[in-house]
Amino acid sequence: MILLAARNLTRHPLRNLLAVLGIAVAAALLLDMVMLAGGMERSFQRMLLSRGYQIRIAPKGTLPFDTEATLAGAASLSARLRADPRISAAGAVLGGALFAPAGDSLLPLAGLGVEPEGQGLYELDSGTDLGPGDTTGIVIGVSVAQVTGWRTGDTVRIIVGTDPQMARASSERRLVVRGVVHWLYAARGQRTVGIALPLMRALTRAAGDRASMIMVKVVRDEEVEAVASDIRSMAPGVEVNSVSTLVARFRTRLTYFRQLSLILGTISLFVGILLVTTLLTITVSERLGEIATLRAIGVSRSGIVRRVLAEGALLTLAGNAIGLLLGLVTARYLDGILTSFPGLPAAISFFVPEPAAVARAAAALLVAGGIAGAWPAWRAARAPIAATLREEAT
Amino acid sequence: MSAATALLDARDLVKEFRMGERSVMALRGVSVAVRQGEYVGITGPSGSGKSTLLHILGGLDTPDSGAVSLEGVAFLGLTDSALTRLRLLKMGYVFQRFHLLPVLTALENIELPMAEAGVGRAERQARARDLLEYVGLSDRADHRATQLSGGEMQRVAIARALANRPTLLFADEPTGELDLSTGRQILELFRRLNQEGMTVVVVTHDEQLAQEASRTIHLIDGLIAPVPNPQSPIPAR
Repeated sequence: MILLAARNLTRHPLRNLLAVLGIAVAAALLLDMVMLAGGMERSFQRMLLSRGYQIRIAPKGTLPFDTEATLAGAASLSARLRADPRISAAGAVLGGALFAPAGDSLLPLAGLGVEPEGQGLYELDSGTDLGPGDTTGIVIGVSVAQVTGWRTGDTVRIIVGTDPQMARASSERRLVVRGVVHWLYAARGQRTVGIALPLMRALTRAAGDRASMIMVKVVRDEEVEAVASDIRSMAPGVEVNSVSTLVARFRTRLTYFRQLSLILGTISLFVGILLVTTLLTITVSERLGEIATLRAIGVSRSGIVRRVLAEGALLTLAGNAIGLLLGLVTARYLDGILTSFPGLPAAISFFVPEPAAVARAAAALLVAGGIAGAWPAWRAARAPIAATLREEAT
Repeated sequence: MSAATALLDARDLVKEFRMGERSVMALRGVSVAVRQGEYVGITGPSGSGKSTLLHILGGLDTPDSGAVSLEGVAFLGLTDSALTRLRLLKMGYVFQRFHLLPVLTALENIELPMAEAGVGRAERQARARDLLEYVGLSDRADHRATQLSGGEMQRVAIARALANRPTLLFADEPTGELDLSTGRQILELFRRLNQEGMTVVVVTHDEQLAQEASRTIHLIDGLIAPVPNPQSPIPAR
């Protein structure tokens, strides 16, 4: 039956090729919309969990690094958290502006003071990590290495508290590049360096035991919400967000994206249905005489329905296969445009080609193909045999 | 003829076609009985109801009143799928315009009804090759329908009609689209089939074909009329 359907489609190769291309475009758009609808959220969640830290603690009323506000008593809170057997790691982070001399001017750097034993901000690409309480080491991002030419083992000058316009530094420190790292939350091209938290505090003259954020890694995922709740009770003056809370907030901000995706996806599905229905209706009309003959020689109504649906399924499958490739290519292209927005973490993607999303889009199109074939198939099966043969004979 | 001995029995068939305000009585109470092994020709002028009678006898259309039965099985009580099954297994059809599937080869066209009847691939291929040999087209097995001449297409259509070894073969103007000599080959094929025991019912304008029949039913205005003398003109309607 599939072979017969395939051969039938070769009767009008150009017409069917154009229809398949139309279905492919609809399939590509649907796939892109399905990837867009959930992709950014999944990508955000994946990014947040890339080092397994499920909880972020930030100053009250803020999101991590949303403002320049800092937490008081960060080191002691972080130490208390590390004492909890349910927590495998916790580390405070303090952001600050650092500079690197570059000829006559200064190169601004995003500095992060970390506790290396509990940091969830970077992964080491080469060299070694900072040691706990390291007062002479620095780790640099790839973009810093590219711009400055710094290599692991180099001794470099870091300037703090400066007025870039005047090129005047308030303090300077010579540090040894311990390694090159990949910053997980940095924007594309962002020049980020990391030093130990006490050194950052000393360099930026941050008052007291302050941090921008504390990251917490819980041993068992199912205990994350309970631990978050306990931290809220323990430190009511801070904002405690689990990754699921952050993702939920993010999802709220993405409502428009999802609605847009849903509308465009539905439209593309309807376009696909209309294309298949139109083509099969024309095909059935052209072949009514042939269908009446098949019925006359003993092919059942269900046999006719199966034959028409098989042609619809083949068209949809061919369109799906091309549409899948087209969708992935266009998603990559569109993702390149959208992720080039300044300030957006490089790890964020708008279109995530999840196998489940691809399967959902393909399944939706196949079901749509079945629906699209239903009317022409029913019409073919109900065609009056004798009347059709009479018309054919005249 | 007694209905009890008839293979195909049709009683008091009435069929009216409505065309807008107008209605045309195609059959006005026609009764026909066909015995096993008979070769029946149905003749008559255009619009006399020949094809309508054939369609009703073959279970392709239903009469407004009257009844048809094949081997004692009344069509009236059958569901569409049961009637379709009866057509598949007990009746063969040959049409004026052949109606082969153009995308299939001659062999595959013949296999089609057998596949529908659930005959296994090896058996249906063997049977289809035998049938092609029977109709004299062994060398055309792998040619697509579009690559065959009119006469060849009609012979493949006859082979297709015989695929499930039917009890009864219906043909509607089987030589209507063929030239004289090709038509003769088809006539010869029907004669041979009938001589081998196949019951054949043919609707035709072709006098030669009608003369081949062991019995002729002549229709005029939806009624059975006396068969006209070939020497005298066809009666005016």
